[in-house]
Amino acid sequence: MAEKIISPFFKIKDSHTIDVYEQHGGYEVIQDVLRTKTPQDVVDAVLKSNLRGLGGAGFPAGRKWSFIPKDSPKPKYLVVNADESEPGTFKDRYIMDNYTHGLFEGIMLAAYAIGCHKAFIYIRGEYIRQAENLVDQRDAARARGYLGKGIFGTDYDLDIVVHRGAGAYICGEETALLESLEGKKGWPRMKPPFPAIEGAFKCPTIVNNVETLAYVPSIMKKGPEWFANLGSERNGGLRLYSVSGLVKNPGVYELPLGTPLRDIIYEHAGGLLDGRKLKAVIPGGSSSPILTPDEIDVKMDYDSLAAIGSMLGSAGIIVMDDTVDIVRSLYVVTRFYHHESCGQCTPCREGTGWAEKILKRILDGEGVAQDITTLESIGNHIIGNTICPLGDAASMPLQSYLKKFRHEFEARVASKNGTGQVVEKTVADWN
Amino acid sequence: MLTITIDGNEIQVEKGTTVIQAAEQSGIEIPRYCYHPGLSIVGVCRICLVEIERMPKLQVACYTPVTDGMVVHTNTPKVLRERQAVLEFLLVNHPLDCPVCDQAGECWLQNFYMQHGLHDSQMLENKVKKHKAQQIGPNVMLDSERCILCSRCVRFCDEISQTHELGIFNRGDHAELLPYPGTQLDNKYSANTIDICPVGALTDRDFRFRTRVWYLSETKSVCPGCSQGCNIYVHHNDKRDYKADGIRVSRLKPRYNPEVNQWWMCDAGRYGFTWIDAPSRVQQPRRRRSEEFEEVAWEDATAEIVAKLHTISATHGPESIGVILSPQMTNEDLFMAKHVFQDGFGVQQFACNLPPLSPGDEDDFLIKADKNPNTAGVDLLAIETCSVAELLDDARNKMIRVLYVCYHDLEQNFADTELLPALKELEFVVFQGTNEHSFARKADYILPSAAFAEKDGTFTNHAHRVQRIHRAVNPLGQARPDWMIFRSFARYVALSSPFFDTADVFAAISESVPAFRNLNYEKLGDFGATVGRSESVLATEASVV
Amino acid sequence: MSELAFSPEAQRQFEEILSRYPEKRAAMLPTLYLAEKEFGHISPEVEVYVGKLLEVHPVKVREVLTFYTLFASKPRGKFHFQICRGIACDLRGCTKVIEHLSDKLNLKSEETSADLRYTFTEVECLGACETAPMMQVNEDYHGYLTPDKIDKMVKNLK
Repeated sequence: MAEKIISPFFKIKDSHTIDVYEQHGGYEVIQDVLRTKTPQDVVDAVLKSNLRGLGGAGFPAGRKWSFIPKDSPKPKYLVVNADESEPGTFKDRYIMDNYTHGLFEGIMLAAYAIGCHKAFIYIRGEYIRQAENLVDQRDAARARGYLGKGIFGTDYDLDIVVHRGAGAYICGEETALLESLEGKKGWPRMKPPFPAIEGAFKCPTIVNNVETLAYVPSIMKKGPEWFANLGSERNGGLRLYSVSGLVKNPGVYELPLGTPLRDIIYEHAGGLLDGRKLKAVIPGGSSSPILTPDEIDVKMDYDSLAAIGSMLGSAGIIVMDDTVDIVRSLYVVTRFYHHESCGQCTPCREGTGWAEKILKRILDGEGVAQDITTLESIGNHIIGNTICPLGDAASMPLQSYLKKFRHEFEARVASKNGTGQVVEKTVADWN
Repeated sequence: MLTITIDGNEIQVEKGTTVIQAAEQSGIEIPRYCYHPGLSIVGVCRICLVEIERMPKLQVACYTPVTDGMVVHTNTPKVLRERQAVLEFLLVNHPLDCPVCDQAGECWLQNFYMQHGLHDSQMLENKVKKHKAQQIGPNVMLDSERCILCSRCVRFCDEISQTHELGIFNRGDHAELLPYPGTQLDNKYSANTIDICPVGALTDRDFRFRTRVWYLSETKSVCPGCSQGCNIYVHHNDKRDYKADGIRVSRLKPRYNPEVNQWWMCDAGRYGFTWIDAPSRVQQPRRRRSEEFEEVAWEDATAEIVAKLHTISATHGPESIGVILSPQMTNEDLFMAKHVFQDGFGVQQFACNLPPLSPGDEDDFLIKADKNPNTAGVDLLAIETCSVAELLDDARNKMIRVLYVCYHDLEQNFADTELLPALKELEFVVFQGTNEHSFARKADYILPSAAFAEKDGTFTNHAHRVQRIHRAVNPLGQARPDWMIFRSFARYVALSSPFFDTADVFAAISESVPAFRNLNYEKLGDFGATVGRSESVLATEASVV
Repeated sequence: MSELAFSPEAQRQFEEILSRYPEKRAAMLPTLYLAEKEFGHISPEVEVYVGKLLEVHPVKVREVLTFYTLFASKPRGKFHFQICRGIACDLRGCTKVIEHLSDKLNLKSEETSADLRYTFTEVECLGACETAPMMQVNEDYHGYLTPDKIDKMVKNLK
């Protein structure tokens, strides 16, 4: 039976409560670490475990923690990125609903590792019930002395603030999240300075995804080598894959880093709906370059997907079958980025709106031949030129859909003339 | 010092210099919208993207600090293509307003498109619509569609005027620059936002539709609105004057001076030029004929005035002549006045300054309570020997029989009970100034002065910085610079030097006034130079020690 | 105009909110949520009031209010239907249920019924793709939507 860490809690009754969590071994390792290990021990362990940021960027978590300056007199902050908004991603919701104290214990370990005494959980505004649960469970932990002054009877202070966002995907980007936490619009900052040096309230700050922190207790409990070996080389451990779209069993599946995409779709998520054929798969949330059926043997880890020109991102797998209109899918995805663009910098602000309008026009049957080159051009000139990765996230679908499904777009901007010949439509056809 | 190579050119720069600043030092201008040296750096427009070796993506030159040995390329094919792309993105929703937009001709979208764009538009969609032609303040018009969201104006209101009227609301391409609803952009520096707006989003209400900017010529000068002496450009319409409706001076713009006003000027100074071309300008010398005035030629007016001065001086002594000058006049005007009247006519009574009409109108930024450009010049040139009130008192007591008044509208500062009795006793009053007012019409002669924009000269600001003004337009009608009017009296009174131009007058000042020693126009350059303290202040300081 | 102010209970909650953050301005989002609950929606007067509470110019409050999607700057219906139009829901037929709900409520996106009973908004991915097509009604998520399910839900709303 494959090893599982977090997902068993999805099926346990009242798993979000302290008692049930403790019945399953929770809150043991934090007490051991507080009493017998140094902060550096924790950083070293997480580094060795090859735990990579599971929100999307995949940056080695231990390495990020090591950027905190040891000699700074300023308070350190840990900010938990619970802004889960990447389309196709819903794993953090499961963690917060079912593994609440596992997340808290991860927060405690990370806070200890970086010398932080106040952690903020920035949770997307729409996750109202999740935020209520976080507050209730945080209060319960406080009541037991697991949070507050001198946690678990040690002299280490730590408290958690639950901070609700208000509806903005861009606030999942770490610097925009910090701006939002500070009470401003979610306009990303330029880097440097990096948050580890100057983050929340100008203090050294680590921003970590919910899932990344949720795996830390198991790393400390069973050791970094164990965790690393569960995954693939340089991509340690298990992770939660969100599977949605046209499969029989959409849901969250906890599997080793490096599991082939084919296995996730067909073995775990029940395969396609009856009578359907696979057409395309988005591997890592809607930002990630789309894959064709001949690419689904790829191992689902950061390095393998990067090697084939895509990305693991938030591991939000969206499956498309032969009933799917790819042109419409690109429109829906582009509409999302247009809606979420913060508007601060030129290429993304103007380019996403422009691309959405073109795609809508194509869908309405008014597409013309130059639209394809224009869409490609828009994608090519947003990517790499913006303040934050949202521009890149909008560009990668434009580039990859047009590259891999160009024939579908070409057919859409073509029409049959009187002799039954397929011809390209041009602007002149609008008259 | 750090070494940086830009487009093959190696230069040394101070630590902390950004790539865009280093490029400027190297003579390379990287295009920019959101970057402004007087405001914080935000890196949002993306047009300053450049290639920096060993960095994977293009970097914004405005924000990237120079590191030692950095190698930058500002014109590789990739840089040029991405720059063009940024322009294309900016033009996606930009309205095609050029034919009706005041910014045309000085618009950075137009200019950078011609330099860095020249692409054919691929844009076939309907553009985003936003609010147009809104009067958001007494001086500022806003067209939100034209706005490229560079945020310079927002940063100005947050960082410079610190009044926070402007915000960018909504997000994405529906983001819109607006003042807070129900409020106006009406701080005392509001019009600076117009200068820094690269496009026609924020435009000048006063200047709206007045003239196309390519008809304007530009002359360096100094604002005469207060003793700050903000450096300005006078923009004047010489090329299409037949369409200017008599408005020759079209607008004033601040001129960068790091020591005085940086990039800014206040609204009061900026809009305080309409009097130059107003109907109230005195354009001809005039002499009183009972209740009316008739035009008279300069030679005749001058001869008659000199004759009258000689007559009264002979009868009552030169101490019966009182001269009221003005701190609106240049150093050269003041010096010639003192020289001619004192050395030529033996006049001993000189007054000049009057207190400000609206006291307390001063702030901790640029605005000074003293609404005169040359009060310090009056002080340094030791002009005053008495006050205006004393002269009026002497006039009432018949000790002063002649008043030669420059510029002042004494009715603003003195009640009728003080003024009218004095005027009744005076035998002879000459008024010399730029604009007529009801006090001027009480004089026997009205002589037309040239405005500051119509003459060369220098002003001395509150910090004792002597700065040059330059003639932008010709004196209106038969008006003449004050110093020239005084020089013409010297024909009738034996005097020292020919004084061919203001440089000659300044040379004479430099020789005779210790504070101005060793100065000349070259040394003043574009930013001016500070001079020493006046003798009276030195004497006061010495006595305190 | 009478001075807008928090009730004593809301004031107590506001002070607790302030105590969570090292800077006043950081209390912006929770204070706006509190103000929305207290006053019904964030009107211009509320913007100014929140600005005073947090010692920021109201322009900064309005920037935040208009940047995010969840705050009510106009009165909202008792039941706020936020139906997802994300890619995963689109693949599983959300267009049909969106149309159905729009017809049922007789509202277009971002409209509120005249009797202030319903507000209807099409929203982006809500993070519940495994239950697509889905929507959020006030605090709760409802997935696996069909026209029938929608009809039943609307009928049973109290």
